[in-house]
Amino acid sequence: MKQKISIPIKKSDVPEKAGGSAKYIADIEFEGMLYAKTLRSDRPRARINSIKIPELPEGYYIVDKNDIPGKNRVKMIIDDQPFFAEDVVNYIGEPILLVVGPDKEKVFEIVYKIKVYYEDIEPIFTIEEAEKEKKNPIYGDDNCFAEYEFKKGEPEKAFATLSYIVEDEYSTDYQEHIYLEPQGVVGIYENGKVTVYGAMQCPYYVKNALLQAFGWDENRIRVVQTTTGGAFGGKEEYPSLIAGHAAFAAVKTGKPVQLVFDRNEDIEVTTKRHPSSIKFKTALDENNRIIAMDVDIKIDAGANAGLSDVVLQRSMFSATGVYNIPNIRVRGKALATNKVPSGAFRGFGAPQVFFAIEMHMYHIADKVGMEPIDFKTKHILMRGDTTSTGGLLRSEVKLPEIIDTIDKMSQYREKYEKFKKKRDGLKGIGFSLFFHGCGFTGSGEKDLIKAKVKLKKKKNDKVEILVSNVDMGQGAQTALRKIVSYSLDKPIEHIIYENPDTDRVPDSGPTVASRTVMIVGGLLEKAARKLKERWNEAPELEIVERYKQPEYIRWDQKKFKGDAYPEYSWGANVVEVEIDPVTYEIKVLGIWGVYDVGVAIDEKMLRGQIEGGIIQGLGFATIEVMNIKDGKIQQDTITDYIIPTSKDFPKIEIKLIDNPYEYGPFGAKCAGELPFVGAAPALASAVQYALNVPIRKIPVTPELLLSYVNLINKPQNSKELRECLTTEHVPPLRDPEVSGTEIAELKETS
Amino acid sequence: MVSAYRPENLKEALLRRKEFRVIPFAGGTDLMVKGRRWSGLAPHFELPVLFIGHLGELKNVELEQNCLRIGSCCTLSYLLENENMPQAIKIALWMFASPAIRNIGTIGGNICNASPAGDTLPVLYAVNASVVLKNTNGIREVPIEQFIKGVGKTVLQDDELLKEIIIPIKSFDTIYYRKVGTRKANALSKISFLGLAKIKNGLIEDIRISFGAVAPTVVRSMEIEDRLKGKTKKYIKQIIPEICSQYSTLIKPIDDQRSNAYYRKIVSLRLLKHFLTKDIL
Repeated sequence: MKQKISIPIKKSDVPEKAGGSAKYIADIEFEGMLYAKTLRSDRPRARINSIKIPELPEGYYIVDKNDIPGKNRVKMIIDDQPFFAEDVVNYIGEPILLVVGPDKEKVFEIVYKIKVYYEDIEPIFTIEEAEKEKKNPIYGDDNCFAEYEFKKGEPEKAFATLSYIVEDEYSTDYQEHIYLEPQGVVGIYENGKVTVYGAMQCPYYVKNALLQAFGWDENRIRVVQTTTGGAFGGKEEYPSLIAGHAAFAAVKTGKPVQLVFDRNEDIEVTTKRHPSSIKFKTALDENNRIIAMDVDIKIDAGANAGLSDVVLQRSMFSATGVYNIPNIRVRGKALATNKVPSGAFRGFGAPQVFFAIEMHMYHIADKVGMEPIDFKTKHILMRGDTTSTGGLLRSEVKLPEIIDTIDKMSQYREKYEKFKKKRDGLKGIGFSLFFHGCGFTGSGEKDLIKAKVKLKKKKNDKVEILVSNVDMGQGAQTALRKIVSYSLDKPIEHIIYENPDTDRVPDSGPTVASRTVMIVGGLLEKAARKLKERWNEAPELEIVERYKQPEYIRWDQKKFKGDAYPEYSWGANVVEVEIDPVTYEIKVLGIWGVYDVGVAIDEKMLRGQIEGGIIQGLGFATIEVMNIKDGKIQQDTITDYIIPTSKDFPKIEIKLIDNPYEYGPFGAKCAGELPFVGAAPALASAVQYALNVPIRKIPVTPELLLSYVNLINKPQNSKELRECLTTEHVPPLRDPEVSGTEIAELKETS
Repeated sequence: MVSAYRPENLKEALLRRKEFRVIPFAGGTDLMVKGRRWSGLAPHFELPVLFIGHLGELKNVELEQNCLRIGSCCTLSYLLENENMPQAIKIALWMFASPAIRNIGTIGGNICNASPAGDTLPVLYAVNASVVLKNTNGIREVPIEQFIKGVGKTVLQDDELLKEIIIPIKSFDTIYYRKVGTRKANALSKISFLGLAKIKNGLIEDIRISFGAVAPTVVRSMEIEDRLKGKTKKYIKQIIPEICSQYSTLIKPIDDQRSNAYYRKIVSLRLLKHFLTKDIL
């Protein structure tokens, strides 16, 4: 039954954004404001011997490592990233200094005239090179920012006794966020206090980074979020770096300093999704049941540690997908390379492994002669089962209902059979199952975040929400106001929620990990219910609510044992495609999605999240190509880094399955990242089915498919399929790039 | 600083062109991107800019008995709406960039930019278009394939402006146009292919084949087309391998950030083969 709160209301940020009156950071003029431009490394790895700076006109400044009052390190898990390069640069685009002044033309000219003298160092560009290079590592003595391993059951024993083993290797590439609004901040220094305004997801991350960089008292640093035009994780950790830059410049010049990126600069120097390489080894018994799985995950972290450690952890905890596998070993490494640092991006390490596990399950199903949907269904996790880290699934897992619903909506089984019997062009259909662990890993909320929210009842009976979470377009302001309004039984217009200002709001944690509704919304619901009880006590009231970990959560962060996440959201996707037999372009004919996110706080906003997530996921799977050659991004403009438009994909059919979560507000779980996760494997499975070739990497471009033509022309393929794809009369320029594993695969299957 | 001239009419524009070295600027959709610097700063141009996009004399479409004359500063949207525009040109324009760019970008600008991926070029080559170049002394008419000399290179002299494009009137039974871009709209071509044919009494009366984005300039071979003319469909089917290998020597694509040479070459030839086997036969 549909919950009352799910019924859509007007999304509160729409009028000002659609009407153009919203003020983004680049729109805000401060009196006497100066402009900053960053001088960046043009070398992937080099020692800086000297920097020659031209004579500066009056009123122009250089801001560099010598202008940092405290520590020249951006506060993160490992403090390895300098605000400004010291002696060495480690990627193309690494900031060295700022030029600051009143006239952009002059600032630009000065940046252009500065000469940096480098001594190149042999760079490390790939995961393989990073693992091999021990002589001159970028980080530590082995180039590893993080390395972990965990086990469940007795994987060694299982592998020793079972003989049917399937091995696969998958890889995924970069993805750029392309939030509509590029990164930007303004720093101001007044009366001994620094204020930074800007687009961001985590005002307190920025504040804490500034505290460390300045070494000042807490009340001398203030951070204010300005209306933020999209983020997708790209504004989780990166704003801390540039907030530092603008703040140092403001203190040095005594004037407001604006640092706003152009699109090209944003593409070249900000964080991206981690490329990954994922290996599976899976053992089955005589009943075609998976008994053991060994997963080896490597992610390319780029030049700095950033959040790679926790991205890797989420990859590892998601590695065996939605399946109940009794014996598991998962290993993971985050490696340093001389490339732009990788960072947070919707899904946070999970999309890479969900692509891999879903393709691997499909491959095994093919090998044992089962349909993927049946083989996957046979292995799904249910209530009472334990996750890969041994956490008990306490809530009902509605996967059977999800699978049944999506099959009916998309006619998956029927089409799968139909395409198998008779080729109708090069059509294919693919299916994926996935979850997303809601919120921070394990006891992160209790041990690291310690969220605190505040509700303030005012004299005029209006209630203000005071939290540090931001609306970046996802609808947090509407969703959280709705939760408070419904809990208080007060009209939504009476609930106020301004952009957070660290001088006014408590630290309710970052706007990440799909935690805002479930965790922060949960705290606000409790606070609102308390306020409702005490409503008549006084004309003005303040209610503070602190996070308390639900009793059931058990987590050992050292051994990776227990409840890796407090709760899970689940979903399935089906994608139908047709491959152009002449150009190998992929046309998507249909997209279906079924999700259990507990309860939708607003069905329409959730639809927006789902549609956006799927399209972003399909972009990741197909057309979003980013190559780095000699450390330089090749697709460094919006012309060449292509994201989907509304013309690329058809209408998406979506269904929601209610499954209220006891500890979530009105039963809500997590929803923001989940829809991204399943799109790529569903698409890749559909392409694999259409062409009968194993898809082992994304993005699946027409160029990649062409390189598989020799595989496509397998003798056992239908005459029609072979004819469509033949390259006779066309002398190849050179051998297509077909890797060793693929050739082995061809031999094995033919 | 950017110096710019905004002449009242074509005559004044040509006088400016004669007096100074300037960059003619029609819609600016290529120039503004090329000259782009930091946001808030004027774009950088090596030379002063001569605005011509507003000149009425360059914005007409005239239908004459045997040809169509298209003013160089007609926007692509305007041409799409024009009832006299040949179908083959309209098909290419539908796939051109985005509505916003088509609303300001001009056909003359696309020609003079001389990009290998210019989306009006394959069709202009195929329909035997020529361009009229004008200076203060007079005019000269140059076939399009002689006008474009290489990537970004044309024979336009410093004192000349591209006045109009002349397209001989000719109808075709078959138009097969494929633009292969990374996405369905607002993408630069990785490859474009145009095949035109007219069949009479089972014989190929006329055939035109052009390829875009796979060599420094559009690939079209009159020699190969002549071999196909007057032939039966059956005969053409037999010599497809030979035709493919002849075009193969003319198609010289590169690896770049949008695709690779291998894909461009193979898929160009597959599009050719598809046109010769599926579309006209």
